Amino acid sequence: MSKLVQIFSSRRTWAWPYILFMALFVVLPLVLVGYYALTDINGQFTLRNFMKFFSHSEAIQTFLYSVMIAVLNTLICLLIGYPAAYIMAQEDFRTPKVMAMLFILPMWINFLLRTVATVELFNMCGLPLGEGALLFGLCYDYLPFMIYPIYNTLQKMDNSLVEAAQDLGANRWQSFWKVIVPLSMPGVYSGIVMVFMPTVSTFAIAELLTHNNIKLFGSLIQDYITTTDLLNYGAVLSLVLLIIIALTSFFGDHDGAGEEKGGLV
Amino acid sequence: MILDRFAERVKTASLKEQRLIVLVFCLFSFDFCLLFAQSNLTYTLRVGTTGEVAVVDTFPEVYQAEKINIKVESLELKDERSRLVDSLQLIDFLFADRTIEGIEAWGEEVIRYTDTQDRGWIVWRKRQLPKNRQKKVLVQNAYQGFEQYVNNAVTVRRSTGWVWFVFAGLLLAGGIVLLTMQIIQRRREQHMTAVEQETLRRKRMGMRRHIGSQLYLWLLLLVLYAPIALIAVFSFTNSKILGNWTGFSMDLYRNLFTGQADAGLNSAIWYTVVIALIAAVCSTILGTLAAIGIYNMRARQRKVVSLMNSVPMINPDIITGISLFLLFVALGLSQGLATVCIAHVVFCTPYVVLSVLPRLSRMNPNTYEAALDLGATPAQALRMVMLPELWPGMLSGFILALTLSVDDFGVTFFTKGSGGLETLSTFIYSDARKGGLTPELRPLFTIILLVMLTALIIINLRNKKQEN
Repeated sequence: MSKLVQIFSSRRTWAWPYILFMALFVVLPLVLVGYYALTDINGQFTLRNFMKFFSHSEAIQTFLYSVMIAVLNTLICLLIGYPAAYIMAQEDFRTPKVMAMLFILPMWINFLLRTVATVELFNMCGLPLGEGALLFGLCYDYLPFMIYPIYNTLQKMDNSLVEAAQDLGANRWQSFWKVIVPLSMPGVYSGIVMVFMPTVSTFAIAELLTHNNIKLFGSLIQDYITTTDLLNYGAVLSLVLLIIIALTSFFGDHDGAGEEKGGLV
Repeated sequence: MILDRFAERVKTASLKEQRLIVLVFCLFSFDFCLLFAQSNLTYTLRVGTTGEVAVVDTFPEVYQAEKINIKVESLELKDERSRLVDSLQLIDFLFADRTIEGIEAWGEEVIRYTDTQDRGWIVWRKRQLPKNRQKKVLVQNAYQGFEQYVNNAVTVRRSTGWVWFVFAGLLLAGGIVLLTMQIIQRRREQHMTAVEQETLRRKRMGMRRHIGSQLYLWLLLLVLYAPIALIAVFSFTNSKILGNWTGFSMDLYRNLFTGQADAGLNSAIWYTVVIALIAAVCSTILGTLAAIGIYNMRARQRKVVSLMNSVPMINPDIITGISLFLLFVALGLSQGLATVCIAHVVFCTPYVVLSVLPRLSRMNPNTYEAALDLGATPAQALRMVMLPELWPGMLSGFILALTLSVDDFGVTFFTKGSGGLETLSTFIYSDARKGGLTPELRPLFTIILLVMLTALIIINLRNKKQEN
């Protein structure tokens, strides 16, 4: 009995339920993705699913296209988001908090509903639904994820460094490129990761924005995984996506990315 | 370099040149807008027939249509995978006795099954039909009367020009204001000394930068809020489709509150609330305990557990959803409310852990042990010493978990099973795939937006008061 009390009073053990829970519902499912990818429908070990992927031109093309769209979207978000974050982080900008809130507020509206509304807006303006609409919608959904981390790093930046650069004779342009941009790189990295990862794996938005004319990798996975006899092939596709995600998260500073995302809502 | 030179050039430009630049800009944008105003939406009305419906061209010159009464026994649409058609956003069925003047209801893209007594039109938007699917529409068991209307195609123009006219007008007005302001300033400048001119110029440079940056942010917000404004505005009319104004009406709000809305929507709202509450409570308890445990671990253990903690945050929702889906399949669990709740706890708890941990590191670690030494049981010490300190972190974790759960689509989609369980997100998704959106969603989200907005304003005001 006293031993039991001792175990419970050691606070280290309080994390055990969570660790067990995570092992069962986070680690095991990810292992299962690999397991399903390596087996056929009867549970026999096979590499046929992987071979099918490499000879399946539609899947590979969709994959490359999705990565391209994601890269493009990340770039657009960066180009639009950086100036916005920069302006908000300026010292003489009076209402940065309100502005940041205004940028986050749309996220409280369900993103699918916003997407449908975007489609309707495009219709009202007589604009065609296609790649342009897709990029607009993606950028619209993920822009706050880019603005926020950049804004955070810019705001924490020591402003005296910029002043020092200007005192030493750098003009505005030079001090921006040589001082501010390098110092804001951590924010830019986590912004890129936070925009790229959800974009490359998106599956419902593309479908709605282009009326199913453009298929992204996420939709492809969705199609296969929900079809019972193609589940194993779907697992291969998920594994491919998982690898991309793992690579990207090594690129970014993952601890920071998590905190930034946590501070968003 | 080029930009520098260009800026130098603009700075040294004479008054006349500057005026010219502004004027050219205005005219150009005006032209651009007019160009867009020309491009109207085209709808194609077509009466179906038995068998496959062929692709029809639009006939812009035909503006009116005869009134056609059609009796349809059943309407079935299939796409190439012969799944349900909800991915074909295609047809609208305008019911009984509507004449062509009833255009307000046009553009509804709803696939409807009608009973034998219904008469109406079959309409679809041509521009939204994927090319490869145009031919795959099957209309079965149609009334014989269809046949005589085969190949009857009518095009109706819905003018959307006003959007661009308004835009063009605004641009033009802005340009004129800018121009006059500049002229006035130049006039004033002529009566000044050189020093005064220099200080004024500097001030104006700062001003210009300020105005430019403000303009940029507000323009961005304008674009960001345009779809939301659309939802909010069209929540005050009772048309079924977003974008059709059929007069001011509070019907949708009334339907929402009296439960007269679509039954699916009502249950979706309830499920969303229930799931969010369960997930948030569970993940707050689990996450707080875990945070205390992690905080007291040795460095290496802590590193491993934190890495595990960050996995669900890094994983995109589709991966989390699919991996859990595979787990439930492998375990043979039937998917439903329980599995969705578990899945939501999985991706909510890491955020709770992260919001409680900083609180712990701010706390004096000895107080808990002091309580134990003074004779408190661990449970008492937890309740009376730890909880009051951790409370704010837990609360923000709880709220975060609520939001994440309500907002989630990807994970829910894969774990909800096929038992008819829908949360708001998945409900909107299946609704949108059918082509029509349940209209009561508009007032629902308008209210959510307003509540959030007021909450933000209150928080801001309070912060300001505290600062003062």
